[in-house]
Amino acid sequence: MVDVLQLATFLVILVIGVAWYLSYSAARLDRLHAKVEGAMSALDAALVRRAEAALELANSGALDPASALLVAAAATESIERTTEQPVTGDLLEGQHFGGREQVESDLSEALRAALPGEVVAGLRIRHGDLVVDSLDRIAAAGLRVQLARRFHNDATREVRRVRAKRSVRLFRLWGYAELPAPVSFDDELPPALAS
Amino acid sequence: MRIGLVCPYAWDVPGGVQFHVRDLAEYFLRAGHEVSVLAPADDDTALPGYLTSCGRPVPVRYNGSVARVTFGPATTARVNRWLEAGRFDVLHLHEPLNPSVSLMALWASTEPVVATFHSAMVRSRALHAAHPLLRPSLEKIRGRIAVSEDARGTVQRHLGGEAFIIPNGVYVDDFRGASVRAQWAGTPQAPVLAFLGRVDEPRKGLEVLLRAMPAVLDVHPGARLLVAGPGDATDLLRAADPRATAAVQMLGRVSDVDKADLLRSADAYVAPHLGGESFGIVLVEAMAAGAPVVASDLPAFAAVLDRGSSGILFETGSQPALSQALLVLLSDPARRDALRAAGLARAAVFDWSVVADRIMAVYETVIAGADGEPEEPAAHSLWGRLVRGVPGGGG
Repeated sequence: MVDVLQLATFLVILVIGVAWYLSYSAARLDRLHAKVEGAMSALDAALVRRAEAALELANSGALDPASALLVAAAATESIERTTEQPVTGDLLEGQHFGGREQVESDLSEALRAALPGEVVAGLRIRHGDLVVDSLDRIAAAGLRVQLARRFHNDATREVRRVRAKRSVRLFRLWGYAELPAPVSFDDELPPALAS
Repeated sequence: MRIGLVCPYAWDVPGGVQFHVRDLAEYFLRAGHEVSVLAPADDDTALPGYLTSCGRPVPVRYNGSVARVTFGPATTARVNRWLEAGRFDVLHLHEPLNPSVSLMALWASTEPVVATFHSAMVRSRALHAAHPLLRPSLEKIRGRIAVSEDARGTVQRHLGGEAFIIPNGVYVDDFRGASVRAQWAGTPQAPVLAFLGRVDEPRKGLEVLLRAMPAVLDVHPGARLLVAGPGDATDLLRAADPRATAAVQMLGRVSDVDKADLLRSADAYVAPHLGGESFGIVLVEAMAAGAPVVASDLPAFAAVLDRGSSGILFETGSQPALSQALLVLLSDPARRDALRAAGLARAAVFDWSVVADRIMAVYETVIAGADGEPEEPAAHSLWGRLVRGVPGGGG
């Protein structure tokens, strides 16, 4: 009799322990998914600001027409893709970058081509506050793009590590949340705006 | 913005992390932000208004040097009170991989967390053993900053993933305004070398410099070595060559103004560190004050000196290499002037106006990320609290 009681108590404790661990892991995973989601929306916001500032500079008339056209085209493309594929508030749908990597790489490249060191120096001297302001905003948003992309990828790595754990895989603790993927594109700023 | 900064090391002991936190706090206060710093400090010492003490520091040996830190239940209570009272928009922890108040604040935090990694830890058994316990807390960090390549290596080894490099800052103007003091100024007959740092900490390398002195004294018999820093060097000086000992003048711990003037006056600042340095802020200070810098070729120092273009690098720990470097520099006034100019230009890169702007960009990005998260259902039930660790649990 005593043995059965002991065994039953042991089993109950074991079941509670396992249940706690699984709930805990699920909650942890949930938090990590939310963190990826948040980081993605920060990246999205920084990209929008960068594209807007770039478009403003292109339309200011301070750049030569060829550079202006190059930057405007890349910036417009970026803005359009952003509005086409909004990052939703839904945990299950928001973790895609929507294939925007190439568009954003193109904008980085266009900015570097249009804004070599001597051009930036010239713009800062010859043009008014509006141009200088949009240069500063491109630099500020560009830095935030770099930060947000790295923070997003760190968060992604954490989700993927937890999801690779055996207990988590066995019970599919992520539910319907998709596996987030790291985002990589060329986010290097023109050197003259890099510090 | 309401910013909470956590410094793991005793506030009243001079050190790179402490100075970094102090300067950053004061910069953001001047910029109009609300800033509060949590750090170990003796309650009876005079503390700045923005500082909250988390308890009396105790010396602990960790990662190859003695750190003065706090922990324990009393500290836990103070950390929780500080977090509650501060209602911070962002929590910026320093060195959260060390057993200290930074780790405790991370454990208890619900705010968006930024962490700065300062030290170069090659490997740590303790950390490895405690990893499963720490992981969930470390996952709260949303933005990682490393002060150098070495510190970034620490993050990659121990946490995996990336860290954004933002160097330590210096108020360049504070040093640029330094003036030459007659009693510390070198002359062609009696050139002056300066050493800064704890004299009894072997990895600061004073011993290497003392061994290098006789060769310098052979050519410049009047050369003086001014040593500024806390600690007891009696044993070191007794063991050194008597001629080297005679050339040494111990200044003890000096004020910031004295330090800047000393660097400005000296013919060379010597940084003979043997290792364990992740950044080398003192090199930036020396450059900002206009001192020609002679430093060991540690990766961190090489990075600060721009691969040796704004200072002289010598083989770490090598007495002949150091003697040689000093002799070349002391016999060449033009080279010294060129190094002074190169150093001043290089130091501007590390000015707080540049560095703090980047840190603010990290705060903003991290806060945007926290704001962009989907709403999480509140965990009010006992089960929910056990599972999610709210409020303030380690989960």
